[in-house]
Amino acid sequence: MLLQLQNISKSFASIPALDRVNLDLQAGEVQAICGENGAGKSTLMNILTGNLQPDSGHIILEGKSVQFRNYQDATQQGISIVYQSFSLIETLSVAENIFINHLPQRWGLIRHTDLKAQTTRLLDKLQIKKISPNTLVSNLAQGQKQMVEIAKALSLNPKILILDEPTASITESETKVLLEIIRELKLQSVGIIYISHRLSEIFEIADRVSVLKDGNYQGTWPLSELSREQLIDRMVGRKLEPSTNQSFVQSEVVLEVKNLTGENFQQINFQLKKGEILALAGLVGSGRTEILRAIYGSIPIFSGEIFLEGKSLTIKHPQDAIQAGLAYVPEDRKRLGIFSEMTIRDNILAVRLDKATSNGLWNPSKAEEIAQEFKEKLRIISSSLAQKAITLSGGNQQKIILAKCLLQNPKVLLVDEPTHGIDIGAKFEIYKLLKKLTEEGMSIVLISSELPEIIAIADRILVIREGQIAGELNARTAQENEIVNLATH
Amino acid sequence: MLKILQDRTYSLALTIAVAGLIFSSIFPDNFPTFTNFSQVLLNLSIDTIVAVGMMILLISGAFDLSVGSVVAFSGCLAAYLMDFYLLPVPLAVSMALLASLMIGWLNGYLIAYQGINPMIQTLAAMGIVRGMALMLSGSGIQNLPYWFNAISQSKLLGLQMPVWYMILTVALFAFFTHKHIFFRRYYYIGANEKAAELSGIQVKKMKLYAFMLSAALAGMAGILLTSRLGAALPTFGRGMELKVITAVILGGASLQGGMGKISGALLGALFMGLVSNAMVIARISGYWQEIILGCILILAVWIDLFFAKRAIGKST
Repeated sequence: MLLQLQNISKSFASIPALDRVNLDLQAGEVQAICGENGAGKSTLMNILTGNLQPDSGHIILEGKSVQFRNYQDATQQGISIVYQSFSLIETLSVAENIFINHLPQRWGLIRHTDLKAQTTRLLDKLQIKKISPNTLVSNLAQGQKQMVEIAKALSLNPKILILDEPTASITESETKVLLEIIRELKLQSVGIIYISHRLSEIFEIADRVSVLKDGNYQGTWPLSELSREQLIDRMVGRKLEPSTNQSFVQSEVVLEVKNLTGENFQQINFQLKKGEILALAGLVGSGRTEILRAIYGSIPIFSGEIFLEGKSLTIKHPQDAIQAGLAYVPEDRKRLGIFSEMTIRDNILAVRLDKATSNGLWNPSKAEEIAQEFKEKLRIISSSLAQKAITLSGGNQQKIILAKCLLQNPKVLLVDEPTHGIDIGAKFEIYKLLKKLTEEGMSIVLISSELPEIIAIADRILVIREGQIAGELNARTAQENEIVNLATH
Repeated sequence: MLKILQDRTYSLALTIAVAGLIFSSIFPDNFPTFTNFSQVLLNLSIDTIVAVGMMILLISGAFDLSVGSVVAFSGCLAAYLMDFYLLPVPLAVSMALLASLMIGWLNGYLIAYQGINPMIQTLAAMGIVRGMALMLSGSGIQNLPYWFNAISQSKLLGLQMPVWYMILTVALFAFFTHKHIFFRRYYYIGANEKAAELSGIQVKKMKLYAFMLSAALAGMAGILLTSRLGAALPTFGRGMELKVITAVILGGASLQGGMGKISGALLGALFMGLVSNAMVIARISGYWQEIILGCILILAVWIDLFFAKRAIGKST
């Protein structure tokens, strides 16, 4: 037995985050940890890496009871973590990042030749041939950064490697390489803890899965004995209704894009009908995000035209788009979407401050009323409207952003990765909400990397490849592999 | 209780009240008198007017190091125009204000539209504008018209006019930042500039306006200071930018932006004014005043961090 956790408990301000959690990890095993957001996964990982101390319980590493006083301590005892948010320093080179805490040195001076050689060896092992040790991290693509992050964790030769949402921001092909690396590490008897919201990956790579729910340990099962539905059932504790892909498409064309060309896309043409959900599928970096942002006016258009209800639009700034009747839910909620230090109320009102005024002056009680209405309508869970957005779970943050958009009463809603990194329960709620909006006559352009969800919710799918439309599919009949084929070619 | 202490305007007002009581009991003859208070208010009035503009900038996530130089420039330009071109007082004053506004426009344009870092842009402007003030006034301009001096040297209800201008400025902008949606947008820009842009707020334009406002208020402060002393000196407002930023941070602003109230700018300046006044009465050397004010600033920010850490529960 490599690692054993016995009855680990931890509370914050007398609210239990973990309640008597047990876990055991064998050498050479990949164990997935599943649970909705707020189930206690992050807390558990923070305890394992010494960032937090458990209130009670034991950690037994290779038969010996141990304590991790801090992060450094845990690292020295052989535990490495790859965080979901990047811990790399953009202005330093790949090599300096990987060996940040243990640069090869003599008499306090860095030995650059050794540093380079060791980095090259490590990158070769990870089959990352394209990255040179001297490249600045700021010049790398998102997926490459994630690989460097993994290299950094492996540079310490850990006995246990924790991967926290390692594929959240990398492409399909990079994910394949990553899973390959994990298999390689298994053979070297590294114990791996794998946290991911993507169930298909878990079934592909993990041997066993442990489930946490509301801080309680639900059990550990070999994945060979579990179906996808059974796993979801254990995480959520309730059966999810099968998605009923009703269609509310009407005949009237609401949005039309003609020959739209910009920095990362060329000659985009499509029509969006009233009540329709049109999905833009494609790889990360295929230009799908840029198309939405160009329509919304946050990046420039080189040529082409946009028509809303038959009228040509000139959009130079998001403000123009909003006034015309477009609303936008950006990807990367933390960076582009929420005002994290502001209250729920102020977040919801961000676009339409004018709605909460009387005689042209700000009226806080009117603002409360509006925010309260949306809080109930979208089932935003919080103790009060004065709570800061940063304290909410990802799903609730996303609902705040949706509320902000709905307050504009838009004709067209542009949505980019609305379920990125949020838990299954909230995902289904958001999809249900989008469907309901189309029933009320709204039209939606949706970007998502999760193909099963696109198929389940969209009416029509446009596949984008290298900035161009590679094909159009009917969502009712489309298969996942058809989409992938068109997207990668 | 914890919540009240976390809001800087309340905790600072409380601190000022306590400090006031302590000073009054130690120096019962000199401190709690009308003459002394009106003197304290007069001394901080000009800084506070500049602090109001700085507060709005800090709320939006920027700051302006050139305000002290603009104070000098505006006063010197008005004096220059009146003395050498014999311009009438209102015209000279308007031209000085307009010139200050132009400096703010240039700062704001280069920062918001061209992407120059505010620290670098306003640091450069600080030197350039100070140089212009020196060129205009040489070693200083005296013998200003009677009507010009009357702007600051007259009294109303026993208080010097600059105090009234300060009260008016604070009240006006406190009302607007609290009640008007135009100014409320600055909180969004400071909290998350990118999200604000995507929420349809014209971030660049708003930033430009904030720099123009800050410079215009500095220009107004320069006129008041020149009029109060009856002379324009190119050394006016030296070090004022840091003093004003100190007051504004004490008053609850943060360099990250998104936080602060106009009343905080007044309270911060008031607190600094009272402390240095008490030290003058106690005949503590001027060097000590700077040391103590520096320590108070660190302490205030430290207390904030302490409360912020306690407020953070679990991270998800």
